[in-house]
Amino acid sequence: MINLEVRIPDTPGCLIELIKPISNNGGNIFGILHHHDKKINNMIPVNISFELNEELREKKLENIKQELRKSQIQIDNINLGIEQNNFIVILTGHVFDTDVVDTIKRLALKEIKVSELEAKFTEISEVSDVKFKFNFPESFTKEDVITEINKICQEKDLILIRS
Amino acid sequence: MFIKIGLIGKGNVGSCFLELLKIKKNYLNKKLNLKYKVIAIYEYDGALINEKGIDIDEILLLRNNFRSHKDWKENVKAIDSISNLNLDVCIDTTPTNPNTGEPALSHIFKALNNNINVISSSKGPFYLKYKEIHDLAKLKNLLVKYEATVASNVPILSIKDSLKGNEIISIKAILNGTSNYILSRMSSEGVAFSVALKEAQELGYAEADPTLDIEGYDAAGKLVILANELFCWSKTIKEVKIKGISKITQHAIELAKSEGLIIKHLAIAEKGTLIVEPRLIEKDSPLNIEGTLNVIELQTTYSGPIIIMGRGAGGYEAGSAILNDLISIHRIINNIK
Repeated sequence: MINLEVRIPDTPGCLIELIKPISNNGGNIFGILHHHDKKINNMIPVNISFELNEELREKKLENIKQELRKSQIQIDNINLGIEQNNFIVILTGHVFDTDVVDTIKRLALKEIKVSELEAKFTEISEVSDVKFKFNFPESFTKEDVITEINKICQEKDLILIRS
Repeated sequence: MFIKIGLIGKGNVGSCFLELLKIKKNYLNKKLNLKYKVIAIYEYDGALINEKGIDIDEILLLRNNFRSHKDWKENVKAIDSISNLNLDVCIDTTPTNPNTGEPALSHIFKALNNNINVISSSKGPFYLKYKEIHDLAKLKNLLVKYEATVASNVPILSIKDSLKGNEIISIKAILNGTSNYILSRMSSEGVAFSVALKEAQELGYAEADPTLDIEGYDAAGKLVILANELFCWSKTIKEVKIKGISKITQHAIELAKSEGLIIKHLAIAEKGTLIVEPRLIEKDSPLNIEGTLNVIELQTTYSGPIIIMGRGAGGYEAGSAILNDLISIHRIINNIK
């Protein structure tokens, strides 16, 4: 189940703008929690829980995020249930020349798994920028993962850009 | 009773401060009962000194020719002279040597040792010797104000007084307009780092030697002052983990954008640590500000995030912060609520 934390303006019709994209993308809504007591600057925090078709989950969720942003709805957090422990970093430097497979394997040994990788470079021997998406066990904190990545970055002289 | 002021440095900030003193003279006199005399205005090669009060209007009219004024005295140094003038407040607006904090550091110690309250727009002394300055001021029962050192007239140091009933957990901020301008241009227009830097230099946002800005030293200094002030720490710039933005490429910016993220040069203080480094933030984060602006996000226990933003540099901005510090000192020493 996906749990979305957003902030919407306290004006009529705004809740519909939140529900519409989820419904349009085949989301099955389980519950909506409206935190009127936590209203700040006319913005109300809202939690909405829903399920998406597993196969198209990532694509549909991306559509929902984009549509919500278009409607000026601020997304504070997305909790993806079992996949909640993932995040993105960008590594800059000689990511390939310093053996990117070794980097991935060493992190995997620590149960930090690369789920997606995208690279940009001019030549393979030049400095490259590589985006990694990581999954990690619930027993880890994000800072634990950053510490492990940092160790490799320092050894391989790579720059870590994290969230 | 007049507050007797000694101003060190008649550059852009010092001149703007004098102009604001003139513009707001009636307000200061009539509304705040703040009467002042500027007794001395120091430059590196001499000083304007008049113990009855320098005519600010005349000095402002002379602009850069102020050395032709009758009160000008060659080769008088602030460090030798401020103790002889029975000053109430010494205002230092000199440019800082980032490694030594001089000459402002010596001016501040000299003023405090001679029972003169201090206002400063020079950062160096406060990120190098924060504790020593405060200890001396406390010992002498004097006031030291330096709002202009962090984000200029954005009232982020004085916000502490408004948050006494709350608790600040962390600080995330963009404190250097130059590096933010460069990253903004790289993100919005897709220009290379070197092109954005050249633009910043041509527009006067970056120095000929931009190292302090782009390598994070300037932001680190401000972060130290901010964190010390808001968290009651006594840290120095040596304790900041600093990474610059000079190695950020257009490719990294594009990769971030593909995830709805932006790369920003953040200054972060939390859990006893100080960090300045490029970080990924959500595109719709309040920290995603454009151009040369500064922004500070305070995470608080009882009010959630508090965000304050504004121009972090400029003569009038700093001059205005100094004037505010002067009003604050006037209120405290005259016991005005």
